[in-house]
Amino acid sequence: MSRLSIALKTWLIPVRYGLERWSYTLQRVSGVAIILFFVMHIAETGNVVGGPTVWTIPPYEYARQVWNETKEFLANPIFDIGLVLLAFMIFFHTFNGIRLTLVHFGVLLEKPKRPEYPYHPGSMSKAQRALFWLSIVLATAAIIYSLDVFFKVLQI
Amino acid sequence: MQEVRFRVFRYDPDKDGRRSYQTYTVPTFKGMTVLQGLLHIKEKIDPTLSIRFSCRMATCGSCGMMINGLPRLACYTLIEELKTRTITVEPLRNFPIIKDLVTDFEEFFTKHRWVKPYLIRLDTYEQEKSNVSYRQSDEELEHYIQFAYCIKCGLCYAACPVTATDKEFLGPQALAQAYRYYADSRDEGGVDRLRPLAEGSRLLRCHFAGSCSKVCPKGVDPALAIQLLRREVLLRT
Ligand code: SF4
Ligand code: FES
Repeated sequence: MSRLSIALKTWLIPVRYGLERWSYTLQRVSGVAIILFFVMHIAETGNVVGGPTVWTIPPYEYARQVWNETKEFLANPIFDIGLVLLAFMIFFHTFNGIRLTLVHFGVLLEKPKRPEYPYHPGSMSKAQRALFWLSIVLATAAIIYSLDVFFKVLQI
Repeated sequence: MQEVRFRVFRYDPDKDGRRSYQTYTVPTFKGMTVLQGLLHIKEKIDPTLSIRFSCRMATCGSCGMMINGLPRLACYTLIEELKTRTITVEPLRNFPIIKDLVTDFEEFFTKHRWVKPYLIRLDTYEQEKSNVSYRQSDEELEHYIQFAYCIKCGLCYAACPVTATDKEFLGPQALAQAYRYYADSRDEGGVDRLRPLAEGSRLLRCHFAGSCSKVCPKGVDPALAIQLLRREVLLRT
């Protein structure tokens, strides 16, 4: 298997290895998605001032035209769904990131103990798992809220 | 008598070097392990099949392989517990394959050696020629004893998604041993043990996917050792 296919497999297929592996996959996927969004967002809002040409001519008329075109292009439910998913990703990535930072300092984990069968690894502690679920709950709340913003489903 | 099918990964670099799967039907009995199934194949059906094993009791750590997609010890996995009629057996992931189910542990043991898996004493004479015994309280023992249970089977190494793509990362087994010696009250390595680990992705690349601890057959919990080690590296170097 090539390096790329191994990477994709280990990144994107979290099954069989438990909750922490799901956290790993979601954290990576959401991280990449947020970066991609960020790049697209900069490019798209750059259009407001007429894109890179702003550095050469005073582009007011041109900018207005481009901005209107951009707005038309973005007024599409597909992009709205993208933003709804992004709300999930940003909330999950942020809160799970806090959980991971704490875990990386050994916080939230149990103390080492003598292994007694059946084994319960102290790294899979209730405390860090609770924070994982909290990230999921907050991210789901963000999805519901943004669904309402874009599609007025709940009329909150 | 019931039967199961073994779908076994085959690879022989001295023949055609092709990677393929071969299926064998094996009669089972109560309490039969996957290793016993493979030995039945080797003894009664196909002597060309290569496997590595020794103790048959989850102690030597040589029979690690992917069984139905998860790294497990063949001698420690009951056919019954898998609850499938076809058992897929493949060599451990993240290890180069030598032949069939036998993998090359060279890199794995190089990394193990790299973390200096022995007690370090500042007195060089004592380090080489010591014949004194070191006292240790029960409480001091508790700090590391869990990690001393490692049998170097490599299951954690095969499960780790970071090891899969980053060869500089030392992997769960070696890092757990790094912490095991660091946390030992008899060891005087201290911060000198930590400094080399702070570099590049040797330790810090761990993303806490926890898969190592999930598959460890000895309850060693490498993920815990790595986080405790990282705390020391982050705070002391
Ligand atoms: S830590 Fe566990 S899984 Fe890893 S090599 Fe040691 S015994 Fe095997
Ligand atoms: S044969 Fe020794 S661990 Fe399985």
